[in-house]
Amino acid sequence: MSLLEKFFPNVVPIWSGDNGVTQAIWQTLYMTLGTVVVAGILGILLGILLVLTDEGGLLANRPFYFILDKVVNVLRAIPFIILLAVMNPLTRLIVGTGIGPTAALVPLIVGTAPFFARQVQNALLTVDPGVIEAAEAMGLSPLAIVMRVYLREGLSELVRVGVLTIISVVGLTAMAGAVGAGGLGNLAIALGYQRYQNDVVWVALIFILVIVFIVQFIGDIIARKLHH
Amino acid sequence: MANDAIITLDQIDVQFKEKTRAVHAVDHVDLTVERGDIYGIVGYSGAGKSTLVRVINLLQRPTSGTVTVLGEDMLALDARQLRAKRQRIGMIFQHFNLMNSRTIAENVAFPLKGHKSKAEIQAKVAELLELVGLADRAGAYPAELSGGQKQRVGIARALASDPEILISDEATSALDPKTTSAILDLLKSLNQRLGLTIVLITHEMEAVKQICNKVAVMDEGRVIERGSLLDIFAKPVQPLTKDFIDTTIQLEAALDSVRQQPAVQQLQAPDALVRLTYVGASTDQPLVATLYKDYNVTANILFGDIQILQDTPFGNLIVVLSGRAEDLAQTFKYLADHDVTVQRLDVKEEA
Repeated sequence: MSLLEKFFPNVVPIWSGDNGVTQAIWQTLYMTLGTVVVAGILGILLGILLVLTDEGGLLANRPFYFILDKVVNVLRAIPFIILLAVMNPLTRLIVGTGIGPTAALVPLIVGTAPFFARQVQNALLTVDPGVIEAAEAMGLSPLAIVMRVYLREGLSELVRVGVLTIISVVGLTAMAGAVGAGGLGNLAIALGYQRYQNDVVWVALIFILVIVFIVQFIGDIIARKLHH
Repeated sequence: MANDAIITLDQIDVQFKEKTRAVHAVDHVDLTVERGDIYGIVGYSGAGKSTLVRVINLLQRPTSGTVTVLGEDMLALDARQLRAKRQRIGMIFQHFNLMNSRTIAENVAFPLKGHKSKAEIQAKVAELLELVGLADRAGAYPAELSGGQKQRVGIARALASDPEILISDEATSALDPKTTSAILDLLKSLNQRLGLTIVLITHEMEAVKQICNKVAVMDEGRVIERGSLLDIFAKPVQPLTKDFIDTTIQLEAALDSVRQQPAVQQLQAPDALVRLTYVGASTDQPLVATLYKDYNVTANILFGDIQILQDTPFGNLIVVLSGRAEDLAQTFKYLADHDVTVQRLDVKEEA
């Protein structure tokens, strides 16, 4: 323990307990997971809709695509730190509070879903249009083509953009932490940086990197399994 | 069941609106395919043939016109009925369009999922892979196969739902000549064994020649000439049709070398350099012998190509006919009377 106390004098006392390191880790994991699940589902749905309604898509619909495309672009254009502030009233309405990890989920999801939707769209567009045409010629319904062709043939690409998005979400949770969401970002800024305790900043960084590496590692394994 | 129309396209018109101009891909085309036909549609790329065949299964909706397939007005079907109908129309593609994430067996089973039981699907897949000669590759992925093998998988997949019609969209254009020939033979045998009606589009007259019984030539969205394979080869009318036929006998190259020969360079009137084209019965007659015996005209054969189209010989000869002027005139009349097409050729290359 003495070595830890020597290099991380300010970390050891706040390791456990309220607003401690372990709690911060759990909060980051909670925000990341919550965002990934909800924004993941939304992003896949929106991404599929973008592909289907685009010109030449199975359910091509120019006005629908135009609107969806613009909404996604606008939401993606908003810097996340500003989105946090703008979303605050809505967050209070939905969650009842503007502070804490659960409150942070609202802007995190709104910020991530459009980003992921665009990634999903690009991933699905890598599926050979000829294969889609073949499935159409076989008499498959658009839903069946989505489930059995797009999501299957585009799976390795979806995994790739999924990993990319998860890593970006970890980054966003840290930013949300800076404005009161808790988590490792909050630990690094509020407890470390603002109190001139650099060892706390470093510990927060190390745990964020560990989370990122684990996500990347699992993603690589899945991608390798899917490759033919 | 012979001679009934299985596909009828009536006044099909397809126009695309591009940003600055309208593209008239198919221009009021009528086409009737009868049960058991192998109907070749030949044309250069951009002629509209791909668009035209996509109208058959409504992958491409026509701007106007009617489509009748297997006795039903395709344009009157709702989405569900159309999907059911599409299962009776198989399709194979130039780039095979197999799913890379699935094995060969899974690709072939793909159209059957949800329609048949697992055991039925397994049996059907085994039967189809046997049919196309790939029984031993069931567990492989498309990336492990050669082009010809991939197209065999494409064919097996297209046949999975027991279609009555097979549309072949440049299915051999990405394959080498030997593989092309093997795939065409397979299609021909499917036509004969299963009674499968095939619509084959290609830019290679060679493919049409090998297996089609009918052919339509397309140019700029229109069918400019059509008929039975033998009629088209025997008496092509349009210059484009003639060009396509000449590609199968490499006539251009032959003419170049023929013109180099002394017999041609020293040719004197009334002797004539001519191309004789004949189909079928005409060949049975000992042509060259008759010319000499009955008309005193000698035929010096400089180039000859005889192919078998649907078990019927199709001959192209380039000969110098020599004799007296009146005998030659008689000879031309005799040839015309016996369905031999005579085309006078210039001794020198046209500028």
